[in-house]
Amino acid sequence: MAEVHLIGQIVGASGFPRSSLFCKWGIHTGGAWKLLSGLREGQTQVDHPQLGDVAYWCHPIDVHFATKGLQGWPKLHVQVWHQDPFGRRELYGYGFCHAPSSPGWHALACVTWLPRGSWPERLSQLFVGGGPQLLNSDLIYTGADRYRLQTTAAGTVHLELGVLLRHFARYGVEC
Amino acid sequence: APTVFLLMVNGQIESAQFPQFDDLYCKYCFVYGHDWAPTTGLEEGISQITSKNRDAQQALVWNFPIDITFKSTNPSGWPQIVVSVYGPDLFGNDVVRGYGAVHVPFTPGSHRRTIPMFVPESTSKLQKITSWLMGRHPEFTDP
Repeated sequence: MAEVHLIGQIVGASGFPRSSLFCKWGIHTGGAWKLLSGLREGQTQVDHPQLGDVAYWCHPIDVHFATKGLQGWPKLHVQVWHQDPFGRRELYGYGFCHAPSSPGWHALACVTWLPRGSWPERLSQLFVGGGPQLLNSDLIYTGADRYRLQTTAAGTVHLELGVLLRHFARYGVEC
Repeated sequence: APTVFLLMVNGQIESAQFPQFDDLYCKYCFVYGHDWAPTTGLEEGISQITSKNRDAQQALVWNFPIDITFKSTNPSGWPQIVVSVYGPDLFGNDVVRGYGAVHVPFTPGSHRRTIPMFVPESTSKLQKITSWLMGRHPEFTDP
């Protein structure tokens, strides 16, 4: 079986309207992939930046997968949430990016988007907060049913991932 | 017997810059030669409708996944991804805002491609006026 190590960190996020952000992340893989060690999902701490507006998490990712097939190459998906001083949580963006398939160190910028409600919903969102969220979070990393969704651009999540591959040449895969 | 090779494409249509338009969605499809066939994944897709953020960035973000694997015996007819972008006009009809295409990269690894987009223009002034009124701008029947 071929093996893939993804070792790196979710560095932080920028471009969001407010700071005090945390990130829920996960790695989705296809049926042929097996997690050998590491956590495949988690949640970062809440960061309040004192200087500037980039929220830094430096959340480590260290996962080891074994696979029998290339289908379902790992996708890292994130949800950026904002926590206000009262402890309420509000969604600030969904995003995903594929894990790089070439070995080495990669700096990734994962763009995010926010579902957009109708204009009465957006008006109440301005005063009260809280907006539409996805019922099925699979939609973050699949494209099959997106055509009815309305979204707006949100900020960017920065990641650094090192990729180590093993035994792929044995199966005739060039990476 | 000819040898078969596989090409796995993973990526996303990340975002677009369209200074004049907002509320756009995109469609992608793959075009390939006779010796190619998709084995798994979706050959075409329609994204969500996205709008520009109010701040200075002015980017339209889709973050729309592309996952497909092709099987082939011949590099001729290497797949191209064709992207069409649509948006509403003044009256609310869906109108094409851009077409573009690029070949899937030939070398393994991570690649970033920026695709310039173009729109067909009506050839006569009269057609331009009627298409603006009727909301039926010239479009390609087969992108």
